[in-house]
Amino acid sequence: MSGSPDFFIGWSSSPPRPLRRFLAVLGAGVMAGAIALGIGLGFAADDPAGPGFGQGGAPVPALVFEERVTGTLTAEPYPVLHLPPSPGLPRGRALLLAGDGKVGVGDVAAMAGQSVAMGGFALRRGDIEMLATGDAPEVVGPGAPVPVERLGRWRITGEICDGKCASGGMRPGIGLAHRACATLCLSGDIPAIFVATAPVEGSAYLLLADAEGRANLAAFRPLVGQRVRLEGEVLRQGAMLVFRADPRPVAP
Amino acid sequence: MSVRYGVVGWTPAKRWYDAVLLGAIALYLVGYTELAPMLVPESRALDGQSLRIKAFGSAAFLLLTFALAIGPLARLDRRFLPLLYNRRHLGVMTFALALAHALEVLGWHFAFSPTPPLVAALSSEPGLGTWPGTPFVPFGILALLILFALAATSHDFWLNFLTPPVWKALHLGIYLAYAAAVAHQVFGYFLAAANPGFVGVTVASAGLLLGLHLAAGLRGRRAPILGAEWVRAAAAADIPEGGAVVVEVAAGEPVAIFRNEGQLSAVSNLCAHQNGPLGEGRVVDGCITCPWHGFQYRLADGCAPAPYTEKLATYRLRVEGGEVFLDVRACPPGTYQQPVPA
Repeated sequence: MSGSPDFFIGWSSSPPRPLRRFLAVLGAGVMAGAIALGIGLGFAADDPAGPGFGQGGAPVPALVFEERVTGTLTAEPYPVLHLPPSPGLPRGRALLLAGDGKVGVGDVAAMAGQSVAMGGFALRRGDIEMLATGDAPEVVGPGAPVPVERLGRWRITGEICDGKCASGGMRPGIGLAHRACATLCLSGDIPAIFVATAPVEGSAYLLLADAEGRANLAAFRPLVGQRVRLEGEVLRQGAMLVFRADPRPVAP
Repeated sequence: MSVRYGVVGWTPAKRWYDAVLLGAIALYLVGYTELAPMLVPESRALDGQSLRIKAFGSAAFLLLTFALAIGPLARLDRRFLPLLYNRRHLGVMTFALALAHALEVLGWHFAFSPTPPLVAALSSEPGLGTWPGTPFVPFGILALLILFALAATSHDFWLNFLTPPVWKALHLGIYLAYAAAVAHQVFGYFLAAANPGFVGVTVASAGLLLGLHLAAGLRGRRAPILGAEWVRAAAAADIPEGGAVVVEVAAGEPVAIFRNEGQLSAVSNLCAHQNGPLGEGRVVDGCITCPWHGFQYRLADGCAPAPYTEKLATYRLRVEGGEVFLDVRACPPGTYQQPVPA
């Protein structure tokens, strides 16, 4: 083959000699640039949890139990198992309930107010806990009353998140990294949590309900995963804060 | 060039090309998913799945940017031409990375649910109908589908089956895919990200690509020569030995006038393979050689040497007083024209 010394024909075995040095430098530059870009962009990757996520309250110690845990079940706005007070936890502990995967615990409304035993595995982040149940809950007797304390009306800024991710199932977060995922969870009847940007009465995690105290995903769905400011009444139900919010956001 | 479809002919140059390509991708992914986390404080460390989602997606975008930059770079600096020959390897790898990104998303954000992952991806957008939530996922899916179509038709079988003009028009869809990918990332940033790092890289990449294409387009731009028959095309002295000048004519394809061993020949400037710019090629072994993929044509009749069958339109020339005159009426592909001494 004859031709220009700087003209490379793609099907020839190797580039002309004058081009080889340029191509070698280019190849090395591409490799070096690739790893530098990878490290740089990897380092700058957004943390979907945000710096303050999960630091809203005093962390509760790990829940230790054998096979099953027993407590009083409440069903509104979402199923919660309330465990009795224990040393260091005078209000007891409140376990959000869900199934295995992005599904709720099922229809347990008939067990509300009863003492219920259930197994599964516990998720925990800060002061929020969830029991992902592995088998059918069982009523073992009448439940203890769950105290409800009214804490007044609040305007709170935060994000609507699903309780499973908020409890440590995944890295929860603001917006994109979590938005559709959280919506899928909530559509599967996982409890909705309002994650406040600052603690409210000692906790940044509030079980979300509408003004009537019911789960109302249809009303809150457009707000999931976005930074919003909502107004409503806050209650403490056992160890769990409940935010009975108006689904219409308040201007910041 | 080829008239049949067989196993890929591997040359040392092609092996080096793919080795650098795969090596660069591997280094980027290792840097992103393994090395960067070592520098990140534990308090803001990402989980492995989220890291892989971001690493695959950003790698696909950066590789696509690089692939699209090769064309204008090669026009601005001929030393980049060797990158063009196997550019389709970049396209196929871009699709593979984009697919890996999509599968990671489906396997993480849309998994563990009774709703099938694809259904969940298309139905879980909470802000449907509200800005800026809606366009994010659809733009990503659009880019992935286009990349799939282009990767699937990248083989020369499809080029011949669809014909070069149709194939080339189809593959211009890569720019739509790129625009969709930019929109996917920019909307993603508005939806969520607090750190402008990657959206900055996205906008800078798109700007660089636009600038390169504009620079390359302006550099090669010539006013078309008016005239329906014979027109003055160039000064004979301006046509380099072994090379060509390209003449834009008012009606029809641009024409490349080559000089070989002191004689001039004119053919269509568009290679029969992928419409590559023949006038930017050279005469090698007595044949016009396309700078993109090395397709060759005889100067006098525009035919590829046997056993190949491609043909170019040829044009009549005459030289008077050192000026080259061209008959802009194209002769049928493969028509013999006596080269003109000049």
